[in-house]
Amino acid sequence: MGNEESPQITRRATRLSSSTPVTSNEVETEKITKPYKLTLNDFVFGGEKLNFNDLLSSFPARGNQIRELLRLLGTVNSPMLPLFVYGDPSTGKTSTILQIFRHLSRPFVYASCRTCYSLQILFESVLDQLLLHKKNAANGYSSAKRCVKPSDFVNFLREDLTSVIEKLKSLKKVGSNKSAGKPSGNMLYLIFDNLELIREWDKSSTALSFMFNLYDVLKMHELGLIFISNTSPDTYYSNMGYTEHVPVYFPEYTEDDLRQILMRNQPNRKLYSSFLDVVLRPFCRTTRRVDELSTAFSPLFRKYCEPLSDLASVPNEEMKRRLFSHFQPHIAPSLNEIFWVPSKSSTEAETNKDTMRKGSTRKSEVGDHFAQIDFHMSTSAKYLLISAFLASRNPATLDASLFDSNGGSDSRKRKRKASEKSIEQKEVAEQELLMKGPGTFPLERLLAIFQCITSAADSFDEDEHENDDLRAGGDGGLMSDVLLQLSSLCNANFIIKGGSCPLEGSTRYRSTVSEDLALKVARSLKFPLPNYLYRR
Amino acid sequence: MAPSATASDSPSPSTTSETTENNFQPFFVLHRARSRKSEKKPTGTWKTRRRIDLSPSSPKNGEKLDAEKAGAWDDYRHVNIRMEAFDDVWSKIKSTIKDVLRDINTNVFNDIHHWVRESFKMITSFAIPTFPEATGSFPMVTDATSKQLFTGLVLTKNMEFVDDLMTFEELGSYLKSQGCHVANLSSLEFSLKNGIGGCLRSLLRQFLMVTLDAADVSILATWYREQGSCDNPVVIIIEDMERCCGSVLSDFILMLSEWVLKIPMVLIMGIATTLDAPKSILQSNALHHLCPCKFILGTPPERMDAVVEAVLVKQCSGFGISHKVAVFMRNYFVSQDGTITSFIRALKIACAQHFFVEPLSFMLWFLLGDDNLVLQGEKYGLSPEMMLKHALSLPSCQSIGRDKTTKHHGETIMNGLAELKKIQCQWSIVVLCLYEAGKCDKVTLLDLFCEALDPDSFKSRALYNGRGLENDSGVSSSDCYKHQQYYTTRNSGFICQALQKLRDLPAVQLCKLLKGWGKYTVNVPQIHEKVKKLLSEVKSEDGKGSGQDLSTISKRHASRKHLKIEDSDSVNEKAAKLLESMVRIYMQPLECAAFHEIVCFKNVNALQTALIGDPRRRIQVDLLEVQNIIQCSCCSGSSNALLPSMHDSSILYTLAQEHGDLINLHDWYQSFKSVALRLSNKGKRGPNYSPSPKKRKVSTKPAKPSEASIQYPFVDSIARFCRAVTELQITGLLRMPSKRRPDYVQRVAFGFRE
Repeated sequence: MGNEESPQITRRATRLSSSTPVTSNEVETEKITKPYKLTLNDFVFGGEKLNFNDLLSSFPARGNQIRELLRLLGTVNSPMLPLFVYGDPSTGKTSTILQIFRHLSRPFVYASCRTCYSLQILFESVLDQLLLHKKNAANGYSSAKRCVKPSDFVNFLREDLTSVIEKLKSLKKVGSNKSAGKPSGNMLYLIFDNLELIREWDKSSTALSFMFNLYDVLKMHELGLIFISNTSPDTYYSNMGYTEHVPVYFPEYTEDDLRQILMRNQPNRKLYSSFLDVVLRPFCRTTRRVDELSTAFSPLFRKYCEPLSDLASVPNEEMKRRLFSHFQPHIAPSLNEIFWVPSKSSTEAETNKDTMRKGSTRKSEVGDHFAQIDFHMSTSAKYLLISAFLASRNPATLDASLFDSNGGSDSRKRKRKASEKSIEQKEVAEQELLMKGPGTFPLERLLAIFQCITSAADSFDEDEHENDDLRAGGDGGLMSDVLLQLSSLCNANFIIKGGSCPLEGSTRYRSTVSEDLALKVARSLKFPLPNYLYRR
Repeated sequence: MAPSATASDSPSPSTTSETTENNFQPFFVLHRARSRKSEKKPTGTWKTRRRIDLSPSSPKNGEKLDAEKAGAWDDYRHVNIRMEAFDDVWSKIKSTIKDVLRDINTNVFNDIHHWVRESFKMITSFAIPTFPEATGSFPMVTDATSKQLFTGLVLTKNMEFVDDLMTFEELGSYLKSQGCHVANLSSLEFSLKNGIGGCLRSLLRQFLMVTLDAADVSILATWYREQGSCDNPVVIIIEDMERCCGSVLSDFILMLSEWVLKIPMVLIMGIATTLDAPKSILQSNALHHLCPCKFILGTPPERMDAVVEAVLVKQCSGFGISHKVAVFMRNYFVSQDGTITSFIRALKIACAQHFFVEPLSFMLWFLLGDDNLVLQGEKYGLSPEMMLKHALSLPSCQSIGRDKTTKHHGETIMNGLAELKKIQCQWSIVVLCLYEAGKCDKVTLLDLFCEALDPDSFKSRALYNGRGLENDSGVSSSDCYKHQQYYTTRNSGFICQALQKLRDLPAVQLCKLLKGWGKYTVNVPQIHEKVKKLLSEVKSEDGKGSGQDLSTISKRHASRKHLKIEDSDSVNEKAAKLLESMVRIYMQPLECAAFHEIVCFKNVNALQTALIGDPRRRIQVDLLEVQNIIQCSCCSGSSNALLPSMHDSSILYTLAQEHGDLINLHDWYQSFKSVALRLSNKGKRGPNYSPSPKKRKVSTKPAKPSEASIQYPFVDSIARFCRAVTELQITGLLRMPSKRRPDYVQRVAFGFRE
């Protein structure tokens, strides 16, 4: 506990006029000819100071956590143990901490492991902020110091921290201008957000233990460390012998909390509250994340308000009932919908018109309009997709019996021989495959099925179409670039390729097509897919 | 194979450089070999006018006279000049296609731009950060909704992605021209190996023009604020979302969503299949940050129709294809490949082959209106006499032009070409009218086009026409029924479908349709008059009974089949009759006209080999018939005997033919050795050594020679054997020994039937 300063909460300092001439904050309004110069003021959260009541009211359900954090941060210049703030995503961890620092006007450096996606960038980002360095065109967008190794980082960090803290101390001596936006105190806080992502950076988790050890290694009392994570400290290795962090838990919001949060900034509170009465409870059963809820609610609320002419009107009981009856059918589908894609009005209108016209002219077509696949595939790609689906769905032992009646080719016979040899073995595998979902298959099997299907379909085709000349070159030709088709099916994520040596031909594939899509494709080819499906 | 063909291509460096620029050399090369081969067979129509093409084969036959060789050189120059003409024609077709494809997407691009602007407004309405705020490391504290990333999902409606590479580039440049900052990312940047750094680096490279090691979004934020005005959105286009690595893309989206307030970014993603794709690829927490909007590009059939209409039906260049070629190209599109790109490539190959093979092909320009070019045959290496001889020896001319021999030949050609032009023009008008009618029934122009090109059906139609000409003035209802029956039984095709549709059309649409016809037929007064008359009738009827319109239509629709006679005087029926007569009289396919060989490409086999290639089969054939390719002196005599001078892999593969599925390595090696070592032994043994490839007999022999020579060839032959086996394995003809059978290799000769 060195460096004991008399705790003066209200102390303010003037802008530091140390090395650089002070430029005003309004630089960016003047069309950026001179670059913006960073000052020590940039260590604090910008904007006007937030008083305690505003802080509490902006986070309706976080009063306890705010008080606890304030207590842990302590008075100005009081040293602290590293904090570990955790809680589910979208529970207000980051914004609470940032607003607390805005309230306290204390200098801090923030680094999110989401934005800084590697250790080097994380280090350099922290150092840049400490050195008041900004990557811009003038310096070729390079960082102030190149820093890859953790040991370098410790050295640089210590060096830079001491200089910054010195400056902060000198700042205090210069004067006590009480304007807002000046750093208070000479402690510097490092905030690391999204800490859970570090776990994925390297397998050996050295980076993580390094981060946790940072406080012990640096041994600087002017430094405060705050880690923010989605997951609890138990999910990190904790027996590494470093200083225990002080955990602060952000619990999940309750339904009432959510109501309070969602009610903020609503123009027509009564109307919105009646809307929440309807939707909040069912939605809370699926998710309590504020971001998910608010994005789900904004289109729903628009739908809820549809019958209303005046959005500012205060709803009475009768109107609520009316709105509810209008709105009710939309709730259940939207509960299941994670991803709703609206389309632009102009194209939508066109398609509507299209279906209208079709409806007036030919009624039979409206029915199967929905059963069509809505993207283009060539015929051979369709057949390949179906054969991949069959190969994944059906056990290999059944191939012979399924395709025998349709008359195949040599490859089919070879196939049958091979499968008879290992029937017992495959019986076991069959059980296993059912447990595993869509099965894998070698290329040969896929091609064999493909050939059986296409040869069967060709004879089928000829029955239907009288004019052969339009179909000329249909058979045999279908084989020509099957491998090309296969690769484009792989690219479209319909077939997944398991890795192994392609020269040996032992690559195994797996079809990920849903039965629904496969049936649609089969229908577009008039291929009797259900006949070929093996069902238990 | 390739080097020999390119060597024959080389005489004029200027044209070769042009063709390499056009980038279809391999196909072209393939074709050449083929056409040479097919030429040897006496295939009726081809033989008559094949002069130039004999020349590539002249180096084969050493006994050819020097004078003829000189002539061949001359011909080469002419070919090259013709290829220049091809370049002109093709550049015209290419620019037409480009325009057509761009026009299809214009509306969608406009929509996208509007949406981008709206989204930008939305983003800036949440908050407008100051400079320190925007470039600071910590996020701005705002609503949860403001972290939404506006995402345009552009459905390309085509599983293959090739066609849309240009589309997204064009979209990018369009948005750029509207002032947005645009970066195009492809799936290559979203690989697991490069991680999120890869896509950021690419972004920075495109926006900042710098390449950085440690790419970081904050740099982008600084750049955006520093580059001046902040009233333009940053648009990031991801071309093929499905191919991206899901986790990297999710990370990218999460990162962008943290910065979206500081840098107003809008994401555009191309989706090839369905809207489920983002759901299946992205992590759910990334999915939540997307605020999607759907856009639909023109579907491949739509685009195809537009291309066919502009290039082949409206005849932008005069170049045409025969019925068989059209059917082949259609089938290739529908069942094989499904991309416009390959269709255009096929067209290009066809066009190139046509110019390469047909001496009179330069006359294509005549059809475009440049009359004087016809007489400049000298420029293309043909004297007027030669030209005439060529032209009159065309099979189509021989059948038709016999009786006109009295006329001056030059005139005959001129008149013939003028006639050809007229026929083509009329034909395209009728096809367009049919297409207009069939549109409502989803008849694609490609299908219609193929059917309309069929010379046989035209001939049979003409036959019928000749019989039914006498009562043409007043076609009775029973006759009309016969018509219908005739069409339905003869070809239940798309023309018939279009006609049928015409009969069912409601009045409003019929009116629209007739107006469309009016526009098409302006140049053919005979039809135009009739269309006008019909249109006025429709209008008068429309005015007469607009109230009862709907009911009568539905009744008509229901009862048409039974009450033909009552219906026959309705406007629909008249329109159908008009169209029918147009089809009968004016829709004369290209192949039925004299001199059509000048503009029409007919060799479907050549196109097929060039396009499909069938490399696997080719490899096998080439391995087995090396003599045909190498044409060395040693192999020329004996056709099938194995000679030591052959390439090792070729020897091995020929030997492998004697085995079944499994090949015993030892036997194989022994027989290989016996063949391969014959060369080294040959010198000593002299010519009395029997070259029979029987393995048992020969395998014992190489053990005999003197000890000094034994050591080296033995090791050498093992090395050569191993290398050849590996080569066969790499070409996919073999599978290496398995653990179960270590001394056997497996043949994977797939799909090759001799």
